[in-house]
Amino acid sequence: MEFDWSVIADAMPTLLSGARVTILITLVGLAGGMILGVVAGTMRAYGGVILNAIALAYIELIRGTPMLVQVMFIYFALPMLANIRVDPLSAAITAIMINAGAYIAEIVRGALLSVNKGLREAGLALGLPTWKVLFYIIGPLAFRRMIPPLGNQFIISLKDTSLFIVIGVAELTRQGQDIMSTTFRAVEVWSAVAILYLVMTGVMTLVLRVTEKRMRIL
Amino acid sequence: MSMVEFKSVTKAFGSITVLKDVDLKVEAGEVVVLIGPSGSGKSTLLRCINALETIDGGDLVVDGISVKEGRSRVRMIRQEAGMVFQQFNLFPQMTALGNVSFGSRKVRGLGRREAEEQARELLAKVGLAERGHHYPSELSGGQQQRVAIARALAVKPKLMLFDEPTSALDPELRHEVLRVMQQLAEEGMTMIVVTHEMSFARKVGTRLIFMEGGKISVDGDPAQLLDHSENPRLRDFLQHVH
Ligand SMILES: Nc1ncnc2c1ncn2[C@@H]1O[C@H](COP(=O)(O)OP(=O)(O)O)[C@@H](O)[C@H]1O
Ligand SMILES: [Mg+2]
Repeated sequence: MEFDWSVIADAMPTLLSGARVTILITLVGLAGGMILGVVAGTMRAYGGVILNAIALAYIELIRGTPMLVQVMFIYFALPMLANIRVDPLSAAITAIMINAGAYIAEIVRGALLSVNKGLREAGLALGLPTWKVLFYIIGPLAFRRMIPPLGNQFIISLKDTSLFIVIGVAELTRQGQDIMSTTFRAVEVWSAVAILYLVMTGVMTLVLRVTEKRMRIL
Repeated sequence: MSMVEFKSVTKAFGSITVLKDVDLKVEAGEVVVLIGPSGSGKSTLLRCINALETIDGGDLVVDGISVKEGRSRVRMIRQEAGMVFQQFNLFPQMTALGNVSFGSRKVRGLGRREAEEQARELLAKVGLAERGHHYPSELSGGQQQRVAIARALAVKPKLMLFDEPTSALDPELRHEVLRVMQQLAEEGMTMIVVTHEMSFARKVGTRLIFMEGGKISVDGDPAQLLDHSENPRLRDFLQHVH
């Protein structure tokens, strides 16, 4: 068979709008996931018994179940349990948020604990409260070490958005599927979709590399 | 009122008791040199004073505040008692000037300009006026330890705790740190120093304490004890550090 470029040209506007939805879900979901992850990871590293247990329960619950089941739960089961309506886009963003949050928590915890304990003691010995020691001393040092594993997680989360095809979010994979079902041009459509994903993950990798370089000092 | 008062202080890690009913009073202006075999509890004794370790029994009062009074009071104790660690523990992401101005900014609430001016004076005092813009990784061990002393002084403590401040240094770099400590003592700073530098103990110390197995077993005048101690284990110990 022949590769028909015109199929791609026709499909591009729709695929790009799908890519925009993918980016939206990823960025908003990861922003929330970072907040959740930093809070839960700090609770794991520095919280007392109770905070630690709460964070651990959250992390194990999320890591122990497939993301597909999580988003099905949020979209189909939550409305029945709590009587709240969830639109597909919100369900998708929430799923990325709580899912990435759990993995980021473990990254944050590991990075915080990898910072030399003596620095924490030096900060405390000056008379600072623990939160200031974390914020001004440990946090900035841990952040630099988090960048490579965070990059990994960001890319995984971006690709995970393709699962939301099951709840009908108009993200990139879903748009590809729609075009497929009318044109039946699998090679062209899925090649274009794959390349768009590659461009998005590539940009993400680049941004993280630059950030890491700019934080040279330790 | 004593600067530091241990009242039958007990401290255990799990099942091992590291401090056993320790009683000790340190008055303002004293320079106490603490010696003893490894594992005898010297670091633990020091770290209980600024509550880096919590005590299990008895009471410990620093400049009128008990270490058992609660978090905000403990922070006041820590501001009164500066600490210098064997491994320096400088903040690697900050320059020497950043390290020294950090405490006065974040603990004492000074503005950046004022804090840095004060930090420059302290760096000059420890002989590092030219090194303010260097990061810790760009400084020698002796220089790092002097920055660490300046960092602790920036919070304006009344008492300084030194835990083997020269043990991680090459012999030829030790004197520069010891000289700064001697100068501090001459200015009247109250100091408790864990060290194996017996010449420092003799020249600068006003009191020598020998610890064994979590207890203070000898406490007296440095020169007197270094030259004619009655205690055979202290004599034996001194022979090995010389
Ligand atoms: N954080 C800790 N956990 C468990 N044991 C400790 C801890 N810190 C010190 N110890 C133990 O307490 C004893 C006294 O230690 P330390 O005060 O460091 O002695 P020194 O400074 O005189 O060498 C040692 O047996 C040491 O192993
Ligand atoms: Mg020690």
